[in-house]
Amino acid sequence: MHEQSLFASVPVHQHHELLQQLAGLTAMQPRHCLERRLIFKAYRKPGLAGRIGASQDLQQGDLQRLNKMLNGNMYYTQVVGPVSEADFGPTGPVDQDIHMVGMDDSKPSPSSYDYERQPWKLEFRDIPEAGTRSAVTSRLMSSATLPQGDVVQSMNAWGYHFTTEYVVEGDMFIHNDIAIFLHRVLHYPGGNELNVPRRQLPALKDMTLFEKSGSYVLQAFIIVQDGSNQETMKTASQHLFGLREQLKSAVLLEQADRLSLDTRAK
Amino acid sequence: MSNLTQEQIKVLEQSRQRLVQLTRSLGSLIASLNQSDPLPPWTSLQSQASIISNNLISVSDQLSDQRDLLSNLVAYPGPEYPGRTQANTLEQLLRTKLDPRVEDWVARGRAAGTEPAAGPSSNLSSDPNSAHQLLSEAQLAELWEWAPLEANQEARRRNWGGNFTLEEREAGIENVVTGLRRKLEDDDESEEESDGEEGEEEGDGMDVVGVQRKPGSAELEFRIAPHQPHHVQPFVPLDLILRHMTTGRMP
Repeated sequence: MHEQSLFASVPVHQHHELLQQLAGLTAMQPRHCLERRLIFKAYRKPGLAGRIGASQDLQQGDLQRLNKMLNGNMYYTQVVGPVSEADFGPTGPVDQDIHMVGMDDSKPSPSSYDYERQPWKLEFRDIPEAGTRSAVTSRLMSSATLPQGDVVQSMNAWGYHFTTEYVVEGDMFIHNDIAIFLHRVLHYPGGNELNVPRRQLPALKDMTLFEKSGSYVLQAFIIVQDGSNQETMKTASQHLFGLREQLKSAVLLEQADRLSLDTRAK
Repeated sequence: MSNLTQEQIKVLEQSRQRLVQLTRSLGSLIASLNQSDPLPPWTSLQSQASIISNNLISVSDQLSDQRDLLSNLVAYPGPEYPGRTQANTLEQLLRTKLDPRVEDWVARGRAAGTEPAAGPSSNLSSDPNSAHQLLSEAQLAELWEWAPLEANQEARRRNWGGNFTLEEREAGIENVVTGLRRKLEDDDESEEESDGEEGEEEGDGMDVVGVQRKPGSAELEFRIAPHQPHHVQPFVPLDLILRHMTTGRMP
């Protein structure tokens, strides 16, 4: 699958107005979304590269392909889990100590959030294609549903380790085949210096803004099932350009800087 | 009558110049109305109209200043005038009565000139439609009812902000006489850096009051457009936000 998108930065004072404009344009009410996003980074498993001797039964071509898969580019990948406002803790002092997790059952939980039943989706995005002639950000993507609950173990088994997590808050619109997501990044209070995902969520109003002025990112995207079909890819980017024209007086949708969306792990 | 003096020829020449200017500006207005598609923006129509009106004023000043001379002048063909070949022009020149069409215009103009003095609405007579027909009381009331709403809506379509108009800023804000003791800041500096495409700047500290007619009632509804007291441009550029979202790296 391919994702084609355009981005814009929306200053906070424009947010309310833009929501209304988008609601008018798409003839739908905004769908408020909250997502936990866990960032995982691939790491090279020691020993895989040198295991040539143990694979006599593999054909040479297979071996090369396997090697390429295992030792090729490594990527950052995201695990996304939808949450709701009720999942966040109540306002006021909440015990955020991660080590208290085992005692959750014995004491009343501050919120209804149940980490063990949190659904997750693995979302992979390649670095945007270089040198495309059209002025949209086009990148290979793929997503897969993961088992509920703790994903770190499975991710570790696949060669990814947990890097950091944040929450994305925003509103979603659908305009014909274009999804429009107006969102911003929230950080957990007290930083992210834990090396496992949180099992409890703090109060939503205690979350801190990543961008201190509270600005939003507007992303308009189309997901194309068959990225090799030039015709559909072209149609998709033309639809995005159409939207850009319609929103021109409000925001300027642009192609994102390719390197800022670089998911390759160095 | 004796020959014209240099002075008098100069006066005639001046009148001719002004009439030429008037015809030119009328011609250019007509041409722009006929040729440009879509119609030229109203600002350009407005400026052309004011040029024409200035021309008219100068012609009219000239005519009334030199009234004595002009009403005494008599045109007659000299012996060397090619009367045979230029008979049409000669007739035009020797004509003493006005063209019937022109006579109509003049009559209408005279009527319009005398009427406003009788009516209270003389301030509206600059409108060509009302020049020959006074607005009735009902029409006036309607106009007054319509105008504030319309003006308000027009005002809300604009960007308000800052203490100076664009013209004042272009001419240099040091020259503006505000009559105020405190110093007004030119707060537009930051706005100019921001993207002009956004066009969403609302006034700093200024509320644009919206006036609307409530449906089904005669009352007016006033509401104050919501706005942030300060415009905060994002500190972190989009690239860095996206990079952070992709890799979790802090900028």
